[in-house]
Amino acid sequence: MDKPSTLFTGIFGAFLVSTSVMVLLPNSQLSGLQPQIVWEEGQNSPSDMYPVKIEHSLGHRHGERIYVENGCYYCHTQDIRDPQFGPDIERGWGARRTVARDFIYNDTPLLGATRMGPDLGNYGWRDSEGKRFWRNEQPNDPTKPAVRDAAFIYKHLFNPRARTEASNCPSNPGLFEKHDIGAGVSPDAVAVEGKKQWLPTAAARNLAAYLLSLDRSHELKEAPVAKSKEAKK
Amino acid sequence: MTDSQTILLATLPSPPAKAALPPSSIAPAKVAAPAKPAEPQHSNEAIERSIIDQSARGPVLTFFSTAIFWLLVSTVLGYIASKRLHDPDFILGPEWLYRMLGVDGLFRSIFDSNFTYGRVWPAYNTALIYGWCSLAGMGVATWLIGRLCRVAIQAPAVLQLGAWFWNAGVAVGVIMILGGHNTGLEYFEMVRGARVLMFIGYLCIGIWGLILFRYKRTVAPYISVSYLVAGFFLFPWFFGAADLLSSAPTPGVMKNVVNAWYQGGLFNLWFGCLGLASAYYFIPKVINKPIYSYNLAKIGFWGWVFLGGLTAMTKLSGGPVPAYLVTISVAASILSIIPIACLTVNIGRTMIGHTDKMASSPTLRFTYVGTVFFAIAAGLGVLGALRGVDSFTHFTTWDYGVKHTLLMGFFSMVMFGAIYYITPRLVGCEWLSRTFIKLHFLGTAYGGATIIALFLFGGLAAGFTLNESAVDASPSNPGREFIFTNVMANGGWQHVIRTYIGYVFFGVAQIIFAIHFIFMRLRIGQPAGEPTLMSNPGEAH
Repeated sequence: MDKPSTLFTGIFGAFLVSTSVMVLLPNSQLSGLQPQIVWEEGQNSPSDMYPVKIEHSLGHRHGERIYVENGCYYCHTQDIRDPQFGPDIERGWGARRTVARDFIYNDTPLLGATRMGPDLGNYGWRDSEGKRFWRNEQPNDPTKPAVRDAAFIYKHLFNPRARTEASNCPSNPGLFEKHDIGAGVSPDAVAVEGKKQWLPTAAARNLAAYLLSLDRSHELKEAPVAKSKEAKK
Repeated sequence: MTDSQTILLATLPSPPAKAALPPSSIAPAKVAAPAKPAEPQHSNEAIERSIIDQSARGPVLTFFSTAIFWLLVSTVLGYIASKRLHDPDFILGPEWLYRMLGVDGLFRSIFDSNFTYGRVWPAYNTALIYGWCSLAGMGVATWLIGRLCRVAIQAPAVLQLGAWFWNAGVAVGVIMILGGHNTGLEYFEMVRGARVLMFIGYLCIGIWGLILFRYKRTVAPYISVSYLVAGFFLFPWFFGAADLLSSAPTPGVMKNVVNAWYQGGLFNLWFGCLGLASAYYFIPKVINKPIYSYNLAKIGFWGWVFLGGLTAMTKLSGGPVPAYLVTISVAASILSIIPIACLTVNIGRTMIGHTDKMASSPTLRFTYVGTVFFAIAAGLGVLGALRGVDSFTHFTTWDYGVKHTLLMGFFSMVMFGAIYYITPRLVGCEWLSRTFIKLHFLGTAYGGATIIALFLFGGLAAGFTLNESAVDASPSNPGREFIFTNVMANGGWQHVIRTYIGYVFFGVAQIIFAIHFIFMRLRIGQPAGEPTLMSNPGEAH
């Protein structure tokens, strides 16, 4: 065995090397990140700013917490990679790769490490006509892509296998409550049992609001929006 | 320790004359009994060893018992998590019983909302990593430090207290995760309160480990000492720093960077060091022969300690982090071939001519197989860091496979080997049944290997589907061809086999082991003296 002093110095040195390279160095680089601001000539306020802090009143924060509580991030990533790493963008999961600046207002970025379900990093991204679609998943009728809206999310949360038979996403009955059908079946109802209807709780509504707010397609100077293959030619 | 014991220790002949000799001369190995008759020197050492063992008895048995409890908990949670992936709406257990007791509605609602995959999976990992692996590791390490430094534990109560604090922390963490309190950081999901409890517990344990090292009467020439000091010294730094940084108001991807860095410390340095310390002690001990090359072991140690904390960023390749982090980690992973090769060659050369003892000695069999799994785990880590492999394995269960090779293949096996050696010396009787040990080995090795292999191959299969190009759709079809459920449908078989063969075999083996251990605690076993071997020496071949 080495002398105790050598041993402790060496071990502590190893820790210092690891910390400075893996924590302090990136921290000095990332901690100063600011939103990208565009000022037009002669204007008093910026004409464009990204990312923007999302208001708490939207229930966004609560929705994010529900996302974490139920461990959605174990199967759904929010990490679009450059085309050289995989066909994420080609597949319509995002307009460009995600970068550190996208997450400066996120308490804990839920990048995720495993894809047992599709990436959700741009779930609220709208196409040129202002509609959100599952661009790539229409198992039943390819001509009718499913529209991504709150009602769609409620159905998925209540029973993912109702639409996609092979899905192994957990059902979350805990996010729904039984209510009397008063004036009529609510458009948000996910199931009707006799005179009762299953309606989303506040948690489910906020989770849907959170998911629909996910949009990281804004052009950034370090991550230009990927051009399609045709446009390149 | 009582006063009479202190006096006894003080009157023992001073050991330095013996200390520089190779391990074989320090203690007569229990399994391979020395041929020469015991000299007075030896009997004094035997007394001293038994005093040290007695001082460690309480805390070490507490560590082992609670660790085995968490092992059982984690296996059940792992079974549920694995089954959730191919049968998401199943309900665990005998439903007729719940109906008879009138709790079926309650059970169903708890099971449906608190035991979904997204909650069971982190609870399983926490119970496995912080419950079973860490507690068993600390128990073995406490005993090893006492043995290697030849000091009796002065205040076992402090260690006991530490063990219970740690256990309370793990329990709070697991229950809170199931209840929905999750930090959003993988392998670090416990709430702050749980982490604080664990840290207090660790301070009671780890500081005692270092104090024992400070008051050593001698240091046996085992590389294990270096590994133990490294593990005990580095863990609180990684754990504490990760705790502070993930609670600090530093939003943004730094949290993910810190989390990946912490995982490197946890898996490579904490489990790597504790497991290797145990392997480097018990293999020479059982075969009664010093390690092949001490210098090679030293190179391996320093290489591993320096590179282990640098390899973890490959997890974030292609992610929103500075690219140089990933480049450094890939380079460090490739360099870590050196310490891995040193270790493999060293253990392999030491074992030459002694592999027949694996047939009889449970300690040697578990420890050696565990060491082989270490080489596999480390090799897979290097392989997975390569860009070409990573492009297929990223975002798949491959990473779970590598982590399970380290936790289930390497660390758990080595810990079982150590527990089979240590427990008889603490309770004063030998293991009851060689059949139990054999069944435990079979279930652990083959069940564990099944779990590992299916995570790895299932990850590869999913990776190939995930990487399929998306734009080969016919022009008439505006949508893209890639359908995500293909990934799961193509990989669904892996979850089925992993659940019913992997986790069931592994779980049954652990239940057998737990029963066997309870027998030992109740002192039901073979009379002390003759170790319970898996077969009589020379019989197996």
